[in-house]
Amino acid sequence: MSLERKSLIIDEREAASWIRDGMTIAIGGFINSSHPMAIVRQIIRRGVRDLTVIGPASGGLDLDLLIGAGCVRKLVTAYMGGEHYCPVAPMFRAAVERGELQVWECDEGMYYCALRAAAQRLPFTPWKAGIGTSFPEVNPDIKVFPDPITGEPLLAIPAIKPQVAILYAAHADPYGNVQHIGTGFGDRALWRAADRTIVQVERIIPNEEVRKNPLATSLYGVDAIVRAPYGSHPFAAPGYYIEDAEHLREYVAAATAYAKQGDRGPFEAYLRKYVLEPETHADYLEVIGIRRLISLHEY
Amino acid sequence: MAKTSARDFTTKELIAAFIAHQVRDGERVAVGAGLHVPRAGILLAHLLYCPNVRLYIVMTFTNLLKEPRMEPFYTVTDFRPAKWAEAYVLHDDFQENPRLVSNMFVVGALQIDPYGNSNLIGVGRDYHRLSFRGPGAVGTTSMAHYVDRYYLYVQSHDRRIFVEKCDFISTVGWGEGGPDGRRRLGLPDNGPIYCITPLCIMDFEPQTKRMRLKSVHPGVTVDDVVRNTGFELIIPDAVPETEPPTVEELRVLRERIDVEGMLRR
Repeated sequence: MSLERKSLIIDEREAASWIRDGMTIAIGGFINSSHPMAIVRQIIRRGVRDLTVIGPASGGLDLDLLIGAGCVRKLVTAYMGGEHYCPVAPMFRAAVERGELQVWECDEGMYYCALRAAAQRLPFTPWKAGIGTSFPEVNPDIKVFPDPITGEPLLAIPAIKPQVAILYAAHADPYGNVQHIGTGFGDRALWRAADRTIVQVERIIPNEEVRKNPLATSLYGVDAIVRAPYGSHPFAAPGYYIEDAEHLREYVAAATAYAKQGDRGPFEAYLRKYVLEPETHADYLEVIGIRRLISLHEY
Repeated sequence: MAKTSARDFTTKELIAAFIAHQVRDGERVAVGAGLHVPRAGILLAHLLYCPNVRLYIVMTFTNLLKEPRMEPFYTVTDFRPAKWAEAYVLHDDFQENPRLVSNMFVVGALQIDPYGNSNLIGVGRDYHRLSFRGPGAVGTTSMAHYVDRYYLYVQSHDRRIFVEKCDFISTVGWGEGGPDGRRRLGLPDNGPIYCITPLCIMDFEPQTKRMRLKSVHPGVTVDDVVRNTGFELIIPDAVPETEPPTVEELRVLRERIDVEGMLRR
């Protein structure tokens, strides 16, 4: 028996092979930042179907791309848009209005209740906000029940468990110690709830580097690490690069042609150029080009 | 303190000054990125009137009193303003105690009914066949529930937004109205205070909790508001003009907060 500590580093192809048709997966980050795009694009290349995708509390155009590519059957998030890039995510809007996508309707507070219940192996988390709203009506999984202490109405927000959480962070060592730069948004909630977690990082750091500042370790004991420099592109990566505004506008224009005019051509062209034709993450970065990538500085 | 009213200002600057007057010193206030006008208003309150306000800004807490001017930021994920951070807010902690991040909140909407119930889910009779799918509730349902005060804010004022009945309610206002509209639902009495639009400010009449015209912006008539509202508004005998920003407020807005002039476009 070997007494060597085992590296958990895999590539984006192996990571995406964990994801099979019909699974419930979570994708981390927040709106325009910190999405594990190398793995997301590989999931699309593999043609995975019928996923239930738990997005961040507020989802962005990474999920919109997955929806447009036909991978998603059901979506769990409280917002789908790109802030000033687009008020409502276009492929999301188109799919819902055409009856092709189920939404597990919730607000951010209810979203974290569902993940917390999953993490704690409880059937639900009680929540007060949302009494008097349409949530129990448009999301029949959410039930109104009388509080056994006061008799007043409460919502029961049921557990939603990701089988695999796919997250993005700045750094990890080869053994599954992950260090975000910035707050990490709601990634910890997904990690706590998930059966298994894959974290795609900008850079692998030595274990000694982790031990210099264990307080910076935001997730521990994750199951696999994927190294993908510029791997959140076209979204931002705190400490590394800002979002690629020009690329996001190109995406929004392509997706909006379908949402508003029913013309799928521009979206299909985007999908071919940036997702299907580049075989690996490195191929994708070559399509984007080094000049664009290094222009996305934070200062 | 003598106040000199400004003469040349935009409606957005007027609204920012109105929002600034809603903030109280010492409290925690969430500064969103997407709604430029409320953001500018809250920062204006901080720089002029509320030196001890605790700002929740792009996932950080800070105090910006000594910042000569605000760097522009457009998204809640823009990491650059993190240089101001005194603390990081882990977003999943917000659910642990939403009051730790804000005492007041501004809620946007696709539809608003006479009692201030509002909708960000979508438009259409059948939830499974929406004619317009909205962005979703974001954190509005929970934040509006837990804060002391919340305000409705919309960027246009027309009959598609102000409707007799919302197709869906994502944030509850004063329920079905009446002095105890919220208590009947088992909710605390912290319904919306004002509804702020490009035409006017509205409040809620205390007995019925129906929306009531409070003031119209310069150049807007009561009739303009009535014509663009899809339900019957309570119109008091006298409707004043919304108080204009002061010269000092306008100067601070333009020189320190809205340097790029987003509120002047």
